[in-house]
Amino acid sequence: MIKIAQLLLLLALPLLSSAQSVDDIVSKVLTKLNSVKDYKVSATIKANIPMIKILPNEATIYFKQKDKFKVESKGITILPKQGFTDINNFLAKKDYIAVINDTVTTGGVKTYLISVIPNSAGGEMILAKLWIDPERSVIMKSQITTKSNGTVTTSYTYGDQVKYGLPSKMVFEIDIKKFKLPKSVASDINKSSAEKKKKIGNKGTINITLTDYQVNKGLSDSIFK
Amino acid sequence: MLLKNTWNEFIKILSKPRSYLGVGALTLLIGIIIFAMKADGKSIISFVTASFEQTLTFNGHILNGYLIAFIILQMLIVHVPLLVALVTGDLIAGEAAMGTIRMLATKPISRTNIVLSKFIAGAAYTLFIIIWMGFLALFVSTNLFGTGDVIVLNSDGLVILPEADVLWRFGAGFCVAFLSLLTVSSLSICLSAFAENSIGPIVATMSVIILFTIIGSLDVTVFDTIKPYLFTTHMVSWRSFFEDPVPWSTIRQSVIILVAHNVVLVAIAIVRFNKKDITS
Repeated sequence: MIKIAQLLLLLALPLLSSAQSVDDIVSKVLTKLNSVKDYKVSATIKANIPMIKILPNEATIYFKQKDKFKVESKGITILPKQGFTDINNFLAKKDYIAVINDTVTTGGVKTYLISVIPNSAGGEMILAKLWIDPERSVIMKSQITTKSNGTVTTSYTYGDQVKYGLPSKMVFEIDIKKFKLPKSVASDINKSSAEKKKKIGNKGTINITLTDYQVNKGLSDSIFK
Repeated sequence: MLLKNTWNEFIKILSKPRSYLGVGALTLLIGIIIFAMKADGKSIISFVTASFEQTLTFNGHILNGYLIAFIILQMLIVHVPLLVALVTGDLIAGEAAMGTIRMLATKPISRTNIVLSKFIAGAAYTLFIIIWMGFLALFVSTNLFGTGDVIVLNSDGLVILPEADVLWRFGAGFCVAFLSLLTVSSLSICLSAFAENSIGPIVATMSVIILFTIIGSLDVTVFDTIKPYLFTTHMVSWRSFFEDPVPWSTIRQSVIILVAHNVVLVAIAIVRFNKKDITS
């Protein structure tokens, strides 16, 4: 499947002409992301997921190159399993084929829609679609499809930390079709069979507002233990 | 006289070894659950969250004392009725079996008040059981595991309740759980009024609970009409306090039905005991 997709992309390559080559665009984004050695940021997390009821919560997120990531919160917080460091790690390996599919306006910004396909079928990633703003070299939107976690779409809004490619807001759209409740635990004899069968949506969103970035301050490894 | 007789009945309950059997069994069960949670709690929690964790990560202090108290309450509320019925099923039938019922009836107190005093003494024992359970579940668990937000799984999905919003839910939940167990106590006292030995009412009480619970858990539409009137359906109403928003109308309905059951069962016991032939 991947080989066929790669072949089609290769055939389409000559048709695509742009001011910058796709490798340049991706490379600039990666360079920007790699300029961040570590960061600490305050996050406000609002989850709107049909099968989960949770109030907005505050957390502190820590990141250190290459893939150290930690979330600290007083209460329970929910985050998508992928979307924070996956793109950086995937692009950093440079074991992929990237191709510009289209130019699309996302959030009022003209972007290149770039499909990135891994060269090897052994990894977790199947396909990544990136909407990249070529002016600022930042990802405005991403859609990552993995083998085990389905597809996660993320929209990014940038503020003060755009120079590092760090967003001020992220909106994750996740697929909840795979969510299943263990029947033995979830049985509720108070609910009639008709009530239990009521329909729920297939998509959920998680909004993360990021403030008070502390970038490249030299985070200790002990934080991540 | 009613209060004096109630006190006597309570002394009788305390003097019977079976009363301590229930408390001991409860302590042991809660101890085992807490030990299991300490040893392998995370994998038990992941059994619940597994399908969500394919896409999401849960961060924070998930395995905390409040969650364990909730699990204990959920696990034991099914079994505690047996411990209650073990004592309350004996209150009238035990007197008949021992032959002390005639002596009891010679006291300057009406038969109605005798039944009421037994009901109140049974209620006091039930309250003690609930308080003991609450103490072990909440106090011991929070001391061992700390506090935190509570993840509750119901048929609609996960509800995550903030730590600050949990204690009142436990308080209210324990009150409704007490009312549920009081209904079991009333049922066994009622059945006890019909029996001459205590085994019958205890077994009959548990049989009724098992039968009603099975009917309630069968996902068959034909039973949907009778489910709301079974007291076992409302025995799990304490869980409603852990929903968001709290379904107050459902809880109110459950409380009304449980109270109605208590009134009817005690009334039947009074009528039966007043007509009971204690001379032969």
